[in-house]
Amino acid sequence: MKKILVVTLIVSMITFMFAGCQSSEKDSKTDDGTKVTEEKDTKDADKPYKVAFIARAQADSFAAWLANSVMEEADKYDNITVDVFDGQASDDTENSLIENAITNKYDAIIIQPNNGEAQRPYAEKAVKAGIVTITTNARIDDIEGASSVDADPYEQAKVNAVAALDQIPENANVVVLKGPPGNFHADKRYESWKTEFLDKRPDVKVVGDEIANWNKDEAMNYMETWIQANDKIDAIIAMNDNMAAGALEAVKGNDKFKDILAYGVDGTAEAALLIKDGLMTSTCLQSAYDLAEALLDTANKLLTGEEEQIDIDIDCPLINSDNVDDTIEMHKKAGAL
Amino acid sequence: MRTNKTWAAIKSKYSIYLVLLALFIICCIANKNFATINNFSNISRQISVATILGFGQTILIISGMLDLSSASVLALAGVLSVDVYKMTGNLLLAFVVAIIAGVLCNIINGMMVTKFKAPPFIATLAMMTMARGAALLYTKGQNIYQIGDYTVFGQKSIMGIPIPMIFLVVILIITWYLLKHTTFGRSTYAIGGNEEAANASGINVNKIKMKAFIINGIFVGIAGLLFMSRNNGGMPNGAVGYEFKALTAAVIGGTSFSGGVGTAAGTLAGAFIVGFLDNIMVLAGVNSYVQQIVRGAIIALAVIYDIWAKTKRTKSKLGSIEKKKKSTKN
Repeated sequence: MKKILVVTLIVSMITFMFAGCQSSEKDSKTDDGTKVTEEKDTKDADKPYKVAFIARAQADSFAAWLANSVMEEADKYDNITVDVFDGQASDDTENSLIENAITNKYDAIIIQPNNGEAQRPYAEKAVKAGIVTITTNARIDDIEGASSVDADPYEQAKVNAVAALDQIPENANVVVLKGPPGNFHADKRYESWKTEFLDKRPDVKVVGDEIANWNKDEAMNYMETWIQANDKIDAIIAMNDNMAAGALEAVKGNDKFKDILAYGVDGTAEAALLIKDGLMTSTCLQSAYDLAEALLDTANKLLTGEEEQIDIDIDCPLINSDNVDDTIEMHKKAGAL
Repeated sequence: MRTNKTWAAIKSKYSIYLVLLALFIICCIANKNFATINNFSNISRQISVATILGFGQTILIISGMLDLSSASVLALAGVLSVDVYKMTGNLLLAFVVAIIAGVLCNIINGMMVTKFKAPPFIATLAMMTMARGAALLYTKGQNIYQIGDYTVFGQKSIMGIPIPMIFLVVILIITWYLLKHTTFGRSTYAIGGNEEAANASGINVNKIKMKAFIINGIFVGIAGLLFMSRNNGGMPNGAVGYEFKALTAAVIGGTSFSGGVGTAAGTLAGAFIVGFLDNIMVLAGVNSYVQQIVRGAIIALAVIYDIWAKTKRTKSKLGSIEKKKKSTKN
């Protein structure tokens, strides 16, 4: 019985592998170099451009939102097909995926780096191989021949920080929740808060400052502890919405903190709902839909030769109680709510 | 002389609780905000999910296994449960779905270990990847929001006691009872101590191992329910690293990685040691990086102590055998 099971398992695996090879041949016809060259030489207008989207990590909710948006946006283009690959938050995996995409002769590679500098040599390799290369969220600066589409993390935090200058009361106690150290967006957002708010408001006291790694549960744990040590916390300064939402969860229903202010970045569906309910103060929209739209438009222009290099930033609009309905509507349309 | 012996016996048997007590006193002195009812309520809620996973790990480790997939299965069970609640509005059904998902994944783990003789490390490592992938696939990597009354499990209290704490205590009692007062419990110790001897003495090793995984699955399902409920959302990428928190609680609590040794109360004490340390470091505003060093050092100390205690036990056993031999000769 056991032998039969093992044999069946092996046969099934071989069948799947064979089927997988067949389908990849069908999709890409890139298994051997000659074939690809011939295909490239005789590329006709009907053949869509193949784009590889190397996502940072499908387990990262923003990266997943972006990957889903890129796939949806790609459906609007008849001349482009997109394959999404998961970098699994690992430099090594992401670099291998870029190498594979180069070997498989993709027409364009969009890289969402796990750690910009670690992916730099591989992005340069893609450019050298004559492949359209675009870096996004966060861009890798100064790669000759590569394009980029991003949102500016400094600006994202700044729109909140500027609003907070007037909103956070004098001699306030605040807590700060940071993203993973070394992450470009985490570092820049914190730098922005420091320069645009903390340095300008010496009266404000930081009573808690922790790295919660973008995570809601970690942020909630920290906030639960901070409220034990501080009778008065006036504001939560979080580098993303997830952490702001986690901290707010810890003070939910607590009258002592009913007027607490909370700031985040991303414009997630949850943050939009919290703003609508008057629990969160503001966030900055980092719209994956806008990024995806810009990415596909950029890829299309570069692939068709309409442009040679494009470097753009999407807008960083502040979302607060005045305009949150638009964001909620956007998430409803996308099925996130 | 006798007092010394009694003290040595207490020290050896209850050392983990003495450490916990010492830490508690130090924390009370170090920060005035530590010894408050609210703070203990927080700590108990914060450690509840990882400790419930820890009880499952304790049973598995005692029987010579472990579960690296618990956090991923927690995520899968949790998102399925949240989604079922959103579709049906039925809390009981959501509860049952979480448990079924946890159990099914652990049946697969058990099958891999017992039928295909895969090492538990490898079998659960495979499940870790599969379950997380399944959770991400099911939700397309997106959190599930607006979960309404589902939050009762993780956020509400009964007579001032947080519901996660009630789950924690109930599961502690179940684990203690299973390990201490059932044939299953005695068999897990026997298998972990010496699997071949256990087999030779008529214990159905595969059946016990399968049962251990199923019980672990029930605990993981409940932990999934509590985690999502506490965080007010279905989070497919949630609880990353919780399997290690659970293992840490078990190991610090005296469960030996070589099997055959461990208790439910020890795991609870281990979890509270980590919880107290995390709490006091945040209260005192200790640098985040230093916190990581301290956590690592605590694990290292626990492992060193485990090895030292084991060596001491072996030496004392050998010593008493020698003594017996000598007295027989005489």
